[in-house]
Amino acid sequence: MIGSAPPSLLAPQGRMPALPAVSLAIALHVGVFAAAFVLPRLFDRPPPPRKPIIAHLVALGRPRDPRLLPRKESPPPSAASRPVPAAAPSAAPRKPEPSRSELMERALARATGKADPETREPADPERVGSASGSVEGTATTAEEGDAYFTAVHDAILEHYVVPSVISERERLYLAASVLAWIGPDGRILSHEFQKKSGNAFFDQALELAIQKTRLPPPPAGLARSLRDNGVLLNFRP
Amino acid sequence: MNLAFVLALTLAAVDRPVIDLSGGRIQPLPLAIAKPLGSQETGTAVEAVLAQDFERSGLFRLLDPASFLAPPDEGMTGIDYSKWQTVGAQALIKANCDASADVSCEMRLYDVARGQELLHGTYTAPRPALRLAAHRFGDDVVRFFTHEPGVFQTRIAWVRESESGKQVMVSDWDGFGVQPLTGASINLLPSWSPDGRMIAFTSFREGGGAHLYTVEVASRQVRSLIGLGDFATGASYSPDGSRLLFSASQNDNTDVYVAQADGSGARRITEARGIDISASWSPDGKRVAFVSERAGTPQIYTMAADGSDVRRLTFQGNYNQEPAWSPKGDLIAFSGRDEHRVFDLYTVAVDTGKVTRLTQNQGTNEKPAWAPNGRYLLFSSTRSGKRQVWMSQPDGSNQRQVTSEKVGAADPAWGPLPGK
Repeated sequence: MIGSAPPSLLAPQGRMPALPAVSLAIALHVGVFAAAFVLPRLFDRPPPPRKPIIAHLVALGRPRDPRLLPRKESPPPSAASRPVPAAAPSAAPRKPEPSRSELMERALARATGKADPETREPADPERVGSASGSVEGTATTAEEGDAYFTAVHDAILEHYVVPSVISERERLYLAASVLAWIGPDGRILSHEFQKKSGNAFFDQALELAIQKTRLPPPPAGLARSLRDNGVLLNFRP
Repeated sequence: MNLAFVLALTLAAVDRPVIDLSGGRIQPLPLAIAKPLGSQETGTAVEAVLAQDFERSGLFRLLDPASFLAPPDEGMTGIDYSKWQTVGAQALIKANCDASADVSCEMRLYDVARGQELLHGTYTAPRPALRLAAHRFGDDVVRFFTHEPGVFQTRIAWVRESESGKQVMVSDWDGFGVQPLTGASINLLPSWSPDGRMIAFTSFREGGGAHLYTVEVASRQVRSLIGLGDFATGASYSPDGSRLLFSASQNDNTDVYVAQADGSGARRITEARGIDISASWSPDGKRVAFVSERAGTPQIYTMAADGSDVRRLTFQGNYNQEPAWSPKGDLIAFSGRDEHRVFDLYTVAVDTGKVTRLTQNQGTNEKPAWAPNGRYLLFSSTRSGKRQVWMSQPDGSNQRQVTSEKVGAADPAWGPLPGK
């Protein structure tokens, strides 16, 4: 005679419906992941969204009498369009114009007390600016700013070219956004358009500007964020 | 897992730095014009006109053909765009011309980066008008990129200065094809009618003072227009061609007048003591810019076309003159004397009054005149030793000499777009 064993207490008492079980599992997963991301942020609050303010050095010059007609801010037209002048007496060769990034490096060096006194050149006596301004200044008013993002701004701006075939009217509303990831060595690791402008030649010019840009290494405090999260570049002509 | 990834991205996005960039350098688009196919004589001539048009326009930077990597016999299709990209071209033009009695050229424009044909057309013209075929294609290219008309087919008027007097001349926009319209008495200040058929000008041709005349461009027939007062000068056609602004002096007072285009019905629209002169229409014909001494020094003012609602526009400098309202309506170009007592060109923004300087340390620069598309200004300049007509873009860039007259050239006026 074969006797039957008593039923185990651990044996299932009945079948649990599949849908509630899956839903419960998903909810638990979502809760765990959300907590993993949200809770650390509650204790270690992220910095507020940062939008760098770009600093422009105030030019060394004289404030201009507002009753006078203005001076031209940019140099006269290129030599190609001017008549050839008579041979000038021999003079010391003219120094090439420094690039924006060179100007920024000089300015940063001066700010940190590492300026080479030879880099200071005599200013144009008629230049508009402030008596306390800088020879390398490009603005007539002072603003505060973040040195690294100013350097990024100026480095990109050095290669930022807007094709003149784009009409002034179209330039008023063209805008594009590019997300760029920057490596610890300052290399732009990758970039992608978040928003194209709708003008292929403008977008192409932005691509070229980003490809040509060389950035200084970011400071230690920013390196990880710029590598992982990148920086958003909003372009307008 | 996917949901968590999306959440992470969202959170990461909020603390990403943002940099706003504006003020990119406006630079010409690098353009390659390939060696023409077909008839080399015609093709080379067309290519030369195109190259000059594009170069002067400031819109394109022509690449040196010596740098081209593509074979010279590369056709109009099956283009190896990588070879053009390597030399820096962003746009490419190819032409294939016939050697027939009339000029017939198939011309195409390509986008090098995207490897696409953008424009394609066959352009014909009688052989003596070969330049016209090139200008037409050039204007089509400009319109394609800028969505605005080009000026390569337009003509300009100006005054030739010689030992025997001053003649009104016309030429192509680039200074080619110069033709006299008047004799060599003292003829000044030409102004085109909006249809391009007539030019009004100031002349001492009959003695006894300056008066206004018209000359028909096609026939060179001169007619008297207005002989009001001691002198009448500075005619300017309204944009619709129905009216005419001018200045006249009566009873020792110079004022701005408006008349019908045939000179009839002249009516004074300024009343202040002192000189009111050099009137120029706004592009919609509703307002007028002019020079007035009513505040003690010559300054630029605007008023409604009936003389009401007078507003002073310039407050800097003590001698501002020769206003020219841009076809886009936003700027008025003028010449002003700076503290060094030299006249230079400026623009003033109609809305804000902001004055921008266009020329500096380049001789005396006067008499600005806008291109009909508002992209260029003609003016006279003494920078080369003799007064000549020059052109520039409205920001003062891309300044180029237009005339090369033996004695001098002055008072430029830009004609209308073709077909107006």
